[in-house]
Amino acid sequence: MSTRNSEKEAAGQLLDNLYLDMFHLVEEHTQCRVNLEQSNASGAILLARTRFQHGGSHCVSTAQIPTENSAEFNALCRVVDSTDGISIERQKVDKSKGFVEPLHWFSVLPPMSLRNAVSKFKDCIELVAESTNLQRQLGEALDWITNLRRSAVLN
Amino acid sequence: MLKSTIVDARVRLVPSKKLLDFLDAQKEHFQQVPENVAKIMKQNGHTLPIRIKIIKDAGLVHKRPKIDYDLLKKLTENLPDTPKESAKDQPESEPEAEVKDSNDEESPKQVKYFLYLNDLHWLSNTLAELRRQDHCQVFLHQLIESCDLLLPENEMKPRNPELEARCQRLRAEQHNRDYLKMTKNVDAGLKHYPEDTISYQIKSLNKQIIAVVQFIFSVAAGFTFGFFGVNLMVGPLPFGFRILLGVIVALIIALAEMYFLAKKLHEYDEVLDAPKRKPQPTTPTKRKVVSTPPADGSQVQTLKPHAD
Repeated sequence: MSTRNSEKEAAGQLLDNLYLDMFHLVEEHTQCRVNLEQSNASGAILLARTRFQHGGSHCVSTAQIPTENSAEFNALCRVVDSTDGISIERQKVDKSKGFVEPLHWFSVLPPMSLRNAVSKFKDCIELVAESTNLQRQLGEALDWITNLRRSAVLN
Repeated sequence: MLKSTIVDARVRLVPSKKLLDFLDAQKEHFQQVPENVAKIMKQNGHTLPIRIKIIKDAGLVHKRPKIDYDLLKKLTENLPDTPKESAKDQPESEPEAEVKDSNDEESPKQVKYFLYLNDLHWLSNTLAELRRQDHCQVFLHQLIESCDLLLPENEMKPRNPELEARCQRLRAEQHNRDYLKMTKNVDAGLKHYPEDTISYQIKSLNKQIIAVVQFIFSVAAGFTFGFFGVNLMVGPLPFGFRILLGVIVALIIALAEMYFLAKKLHEYDEVLDAPKRKPQPTTPTKRKVVSTPPADGSQVQTLKPHAD
């Protein structure tokens, strides 16, 4: 009887912890999304400022992005999905190996605001990865909660 | 309507009647109570004994609880056909939905007090303590089952009408300009509009000539410096070397100047591309100076002339 009780106690405590963990994850996830929004917005503002300062569509436009017929190049940034979540892998710019600097599509001497915008958008990618990880953990926690609630120990 | 940024990222929990009753029943055993919980109990008409300390948890940060995954796996391993069931009732949204359903009819009134994460941590610790002392056998999950969970939400904000009006005006202007540019060589009335007058031609010619003359002048000055200046500073140099120096200096300056010249001439092209018209009557709507007639009866209203 006492082992049964202690098991029930442990399971109950576990479920409590899972719930608290879920709340923590929800908060962190929200915070992460808020950060993402801010970072993305300031990146967009900086991009707009670049276009404003350097004369409309001449400085930065979609026409400058390579198309299918352009020379091939490798991606600088990769998403790596491993067992402990998603992570972002970045490569150094190295022309001989095909890693070109995307900033140079737009101008040889990119203005400061464009550089800042790039760093903001880079932050965004990191935040997206973090947010995905948190979301996965949250889903996992919810799964555990449903499973544990269904298990016989609590009833 | 626009979504604005989430200001408060905290999870909020509306305490249910069951939870409040439980707190009231067990209040004899508490040593200390967070400020927020104390406030909530007060608002619901429950009094706290005086000896209970009220903690102010402004700067308190709780870490995520450690979860014993081994035990968790052990407890859930012999569940009957888990995957099928979980696929059926969608575990992603189930707990919240369940919690919400049970409380919807209970509290239709607007509530202003919430339990935050710190309070939940306190509650969890206190319940563990109570269970150890055998006062009750209640778990946190049993208490919060009946509570309403409020997730952080975006506030909806209406768009500022002034901004909207301004945006529309600017957009219309831009479209108008584009249209004029497009129809410049079709519409006979526009075709000769500004470019054909002699003064306009001479003006734009003047600007370009000045730019070119500046360029030539600075290149010549550079050459002169290389040819004479260095000779004067260093001493007598052979003639060929002087010419070489002059050309090098002039080249450097020409390169730098060329960049600016190209930029400037490019700008002129831009200006020439967009035909200018007399300011349209639709544009200056923003500055309407309506002066209220003064009380002493002078009927003359002074309206400012166009500021722009």
